[in-house]
Amino acid sequence: MAHAASNSPSVTFESPPSSFRAMGLWLRSYVNRILASANSCRRNRSRCCKRTFNRDVEAEELQDTSTVCLSSYYSVFMVRLAIMVMLAILIGMLTLLTWHFTKVYTQRSLDTLAYGLRFELLQRPMLRMWNIINSTVEITTAQVKLSEYVIRRYSKPVNQAQQVELYEVMRDVTWALFASQRALSSITINYRNGFVQAFHRDHRSNKTSYIYSDLVNYSINGYDADTRSSHQGWNDQSIHGNMSAIWYRQPLDPVTGEKIGKSSPIPPDELINIAGISQIPDGAASWHVAVSKYTDSPLLSAALPVWDSSKESIVAVVGVTTALYSVGQLMKELVGFHSGHIYLTSQEGWLLATSSNTPLLMNSTTGPKLMMAVDSEDRVIRSGAEWLQRVYGDKFPLNDEVHIEHARLGHQLYYIDSFFLNLKRLPMVGVIIIPRKYIMGRVDERAFKTLVVLISASVCILVVGCVCIFVLTNGVSKEMKLRAELISHLDARRKAEASSNYKSQFLANMSHELRTPMAAVIGLLDILVCDDCLTNEQYANVTQIRKCSTALLRLLNNILDLSKVESGKLVLEETEFDLGRELEGLVDMFSVQCINHNVEIILDLSDDMPKLVQGDSARVVQIFANLISNSIKFTTSGHVILRGWSENPNSVLSSGKCSISQKDSWPGQKMKLKLHGSHGKRSLKKENKMVLWFEVDDTGCGIDPSKWESVFESFEQADPSTTRLHGGTGLGLCIVRTLVNKMGGEIKVEKKNGPGALMRLYLILSTPADLNGAGKHCQFKFKEHKLTMVLALNGRMGRSTMAQWLQKNLVHTYEASEWNELTQTLQEHFKASYMHIPPGEFSESDQMHTQGISISVVVIVIVIGLLELSTDIWKEQLAYLDKYSSIAKFAWILNHDTPNAIKAELRWRGHLLMVSRPLYKAKIVQILEAVIKDQQMELQKYVTATIEGNLNECHEIDAIHSWTPSSDDSDKSERDDLRLASPFYRTPNASPSLNRTPNGHHAEFAHVRYEENACNKKSPGQTRQEEQQSPITCLKERDTVRISTSMDEQSSLKGLRILLAEDTPVLQRVATIMLEKLGAKVVAVGDGLQAVEALKFLLHSSELRKESPVEDDNSEIITANGLSLLPYDLILMDCQMPKMDGYEATKAIRKSELGSGSHIPIVALTAHAMSCDEAKCLEVGMDAYLSKPIDRKLMVSTILSLTKRTA
Amino acid sequence: MDGVILLQKQLVDYSTSLYKEGFLDDQFKQLQQLQDESNPDFVVEVVYLFFEDSERLLNELSKTLNQQIVDFKKVDAHVHQLKGSSSSIGAQRVQKVCIAFRNYCEEQNTEGCLRCLQLVKHEYSLVKNKLETMFKLEKQVLAAGGSIPMH
Repeated sequence: MAHAASNSPSVTFESPPSSFRAMGLWLRSYVNRILASANSCRRNRSRCCKRTFNRDVEAEELQDTSTVCLSSYYSVFMVRLAIMVMLAILIGMLTLLTWHFTKVYTQRSLDTLAYGLRFELLQRPMLRMWNIINSTVEITTAQVKLSEYVIRRYSKPVNQAQQVELYEVMRDVTWALFASQRALSSITINYRNGFVQAFHRDHRSNKTSYIYSDLVNYSINGYDADTRSSHQGWNDQSIHGNMSAIWYRQPLDPVTGEKIGKSSPIPPDELINIAGISQIPDGAASWHVAVSKYTDSPLLSAALPVWDSSKESIVAVVGVTTALYSVGQLMKELVGFHSGHIYLTSQEGWLLATSSNTPLLMNSTTGPKLMMAVDSEDRVIRSGAEWLQRVYGDKFPLNDEVHIEHARLGHQLYYIDSFFLNLKRLPMVGVIIIPRKYIMGRVDERAFKTLVVLISASVCILVVGCVCIFVLTNGVSKEMKLRAELISHLDARRKAEASSNYKSQFLANMSHELRTPMAAVIGLLDILVCDDCLTNEQYANVTQIRKCSTALLRLLNNILDLSKVESGKLVLEETEFDLGRELEGLVDMFSVQCINHNVEIILDLSDDMPKLVQGDSARVVQIFANLISNSIKFTTSGHVILRGWSENPNSVLSSGKCSISQKDSWPGQKMKLKLHGSHGKRSLKKENKMVLWFEVDDTGCGIDPSKWESVFESFEQADPSTTRLHGGTGLGLCIVRTLVNKMGGEIKVEKKNGPGALMRLYLILSTPADLNGAGKHCQFKFKEHKLTMVLALNGRMGRSTMAQWLQKNLVHTYEASEWNELTQTLQEHFKASYMHIPPGEFSESDQMHTQGISISVVVIVIVIGLLELSTDIWKEQLAYLDKYSSIAKFAWILNHDTPNAIKAELRWRGHLLMVSRPLYKAKIVQILEAVIKDQQMELQKYVTATIEGNLNECHEIDAIHSWTPSSDDSDKSERDDLRLASPFYRTPNASPSLNRTPNGHHAEFAHVRYEENACNKKSPGQTRQEEQQSPITCLKERDTVRISTSMDEQSSLKGLRILLAEDTPVLQRVATIMLEKLGAKVVAVGDGLQAVEALKFLLHSSELRKESPVEDDNSEIITANGLSLLPYDLILMDCQMPKMDGYEATKAIRKSELGSGSHIPIVALTAHAMSCDEAKCLEVGMDAYLSKPIDRKLMVSTILSLTKRTA
Repeated sequence: MDGVILLQKQLVDYSTSLYKEGFLDDQFKQLQQLQDESNPDFVVEVVYLFFEDSERLLNELSKTLNQQIVDFKKVDAHVHQLKGSSSSIGAQRVQKVCIAFRNYCEEQNTEGCLRCLQLVKHEYSLVKNKLETMFKLEKQVLAAGGSIPMH
């Protein structure tokens, strides 16, 4: 196989390296490849080197990959080689086996055939031989029998005549026999008396002759004389020695036996051997092979004695001679047909007959002699005989056959077979030599050809296979390389993702953990700020620290929010809230910040905005808080407008902008709507989903168009310098975008005319189904009242926005931006009447007619800033305005820092309508409502101070920031920020609960104030505020009593009954004391089971409680409010407790509540500080979450926020 | 009177050292703030509650941990309780060891748990001694007629 492979020229290096040539090729190509790869490596390296200057790492990586490639190449190469070798071995074995089996089986069957043939071939001459011998014996026997018969007839011849007659008869008889057997060479009868009769046939000349001896020489009595000693009388000498005897030969006609010529005398034994008595020494038949001078073939002669009638003496000897010539002839014929050589030898090795023409006799000095087979002139016979002799020597296996298949005689292979013919007295050996070529020649040739064909075929297959393997493995190795690369890339990506995950996880955890200390720091700073004994410098420093801490806390909150959103843990609530009110609160808050910046903040919501929407109010507010604070940050002067409208083709903002025209630039939104298709729109309708559009428009520095997308990325700011100038982390907008996306909306920076940036977003919020019709602002019917308004506002944008809106609602509006303009307007339109009618006494209808304008009510809205507050001129200005008080109502827009003296003055002058900045629609509506109500009351001539006071205080409360005139404004704004993002605010359901009461935001602000109170208890302004506030809240029926009671920090939880489930005695004690100090009544239980039972027991007994009023004041209030019949207002539940843990207990409590419809707030207390625990707490039905150790303030605010909801 | 002032100073120094050495943290201060006329012995009461509770828990812990097959859930619950109560009184060193203890608990590392138990016991006895010394000082101050200075 391997040889074949090496012979094939198409074999390349892939062939098994077992042959030298292939090996050489293979090695050469191998070396070439290595060189090539080394070259490429070097090239790589050189390429790397070029980059080394700045890209060391990359270069190393490249190097690494190249070496990796090289090694992987080698391994692939080795694998390829191994596969090829195996293939080669396989094919080689297949070929060999095929060849072997085909060859062996044909050879075996051929051998069997050939053996038969050889046997047959040899058998035939042997048979002929046997026949010859047999016939010779038969003839001899017949002759003997006949001779005996004749001689018995003529026994005791008495005379010559009888003797002659006897001989005559004998001659005839003998002739008859001789003539019948044509194969006989001669028959001789040798009588006792020496007389010889013989017939001889020369086959070559086809002459037959009768030989007889001269009768006269023999006595008739010869017989008698020798009767006793018959043997003595018989000797060859009597014949041979009797040279005087004359023999005659008479040619005969071979067919008839007629004498055809004259007999001629011949010397005795001239022609033939006459069998004499010597040849039958024991009187039995004898055989021998004789030679004669006249024939060149050996003769087989047999001799038998003829006994006399008494069987006592031999009277004659009959000899029959047959030439073996015919056997040779037969052999020749056979061999001529089949090729090969046959010969017969006697046992001693004398050659009897051969198939060749070579002489069988050897002429020697003593006459012709038989020759040995080894002396045969025929080369093949001689060498065959020699070979046999060499192999078997003298110990020729008698009675055995010899078959030799691969005898090399000369240059050829022969089959040699010999058979031993065991005749009595003449054992013979027949040998046949057939050249192998004759039998197997074709087979061998065919076998060789088959082998060649097979080998060449297998070589072809091998070559093709190797090429295939090479090609395939090439592809596979490439693919493997690619796959490995891909895997490593995936791995790297997974690692990167994991690390980013870890990062956000870490950030989330860290910020979560950091918030607590931060809250503590801020709280302590608050305490410090309230301390009286601080010097101014210290106070400034502490304020600074306070600001920084707040900023830090905000950052932490941002990170927490972001990571919460990123990790998908942010779940938006679905609660109902008043969007307008939320946004108003927001604007209120930010307006404080804007005062210092000289920035006007305007809220412009279209009237078709739904009043109530479903969603996560905290998150919505967060979105706008972030956007607005962002805008304010970058706006030094001008305005920030928050516009809002719902997606409705008819919706037109009061500013006159048509919203629909801008929708083209929103491919995303359009696509989404298209995606929904027609039924999508329907489904939007069906689910009461609403697309609400908002924009935040500012006049700040603007955003470069190239950054419009990237500003929403984390830690991305439009201008790197902004961090220096404005601070911030760049997380705000990112949070906004994630939140907006979460709410199904989109946010984008829009192109804007003029300076500043315009952010536009839309949110998909659902509106409560039943409120769909009533969703719009319950619009005050301005038309009916024929209102006229004078807007004396110094902010241009806000004023024009407001004026447009008012005009749209059919309210006559006059605008003025400064004092002089105001006076002018007033003079022009109202012709200031100098008659000073006291309030309540003027006739409105008269006035109307004198003005010639159909006005019923005139409202003048004036910003306090229009007055000259720096000097005392403002009092004169007020006096001037008083002139119009008869015909108009004044509404003052106060700043947050408006001194109380001014307020008192205004109140004194009867200007009771006061609202704080900024002015937005709800406030206008409020003012108008109050005015109209007032008007109506005046008309009815019924004025009560209480209502005045109520109105007064009502609006005063609106002015949320008027409560601490002494405190720093920016500080407050910071606090508002804190409020927005404070954990309290994140408590679920906190804000929606506030929205439920129509006066909700009042309560909220009061509550906020309370919270601030908690840390500002020593502030002197505070106490004043409290004094001021407590009567108000008392007057308000809708406000909860609890707020008034909570004014006092020491007893902020007064009246609350709290069930504390805590197993650790220490904690139980601490918490109990803590709560009791805050005025709450605490019942402590040791585990969840007890808590559940305590609750159950009291649930049942609550029926009793309802009937019998309890003497406890607090509970009386609760029951009086009719809001809670539960004995406990709240449960503080430790999470890990024996018997039943907090989660289980909560589940049990919630389950028992299912039927009753009540909901007792449960606050988790846990030492776990991870956010997932919080999630778990909320999941089982807890309302809030406090971590140990308990922070008092946090606990108080949490408890309050939860208990207030039930109130 | 000087003696009282001296005692007071000693007490203040001692408690400051406790904060500085990290035996106590702000939570203890909060406890002290909670103490007033209505609960004159609140701090002592709570601290002794803590002692009782801790001793019970430590006994339970050593019992549980010395068993053939350690019930880590039980151990974890005990340690959690100990952590809660120690953090409630502000014994932060005990609390910190508790955190490590719980980690070992989660790993089900008996050896680590036993080591932590020893540590907790050690810390507990330390803080107990310190607190008792402080209370003694306070008593002395009170006995001498002075008031306990607030920090």
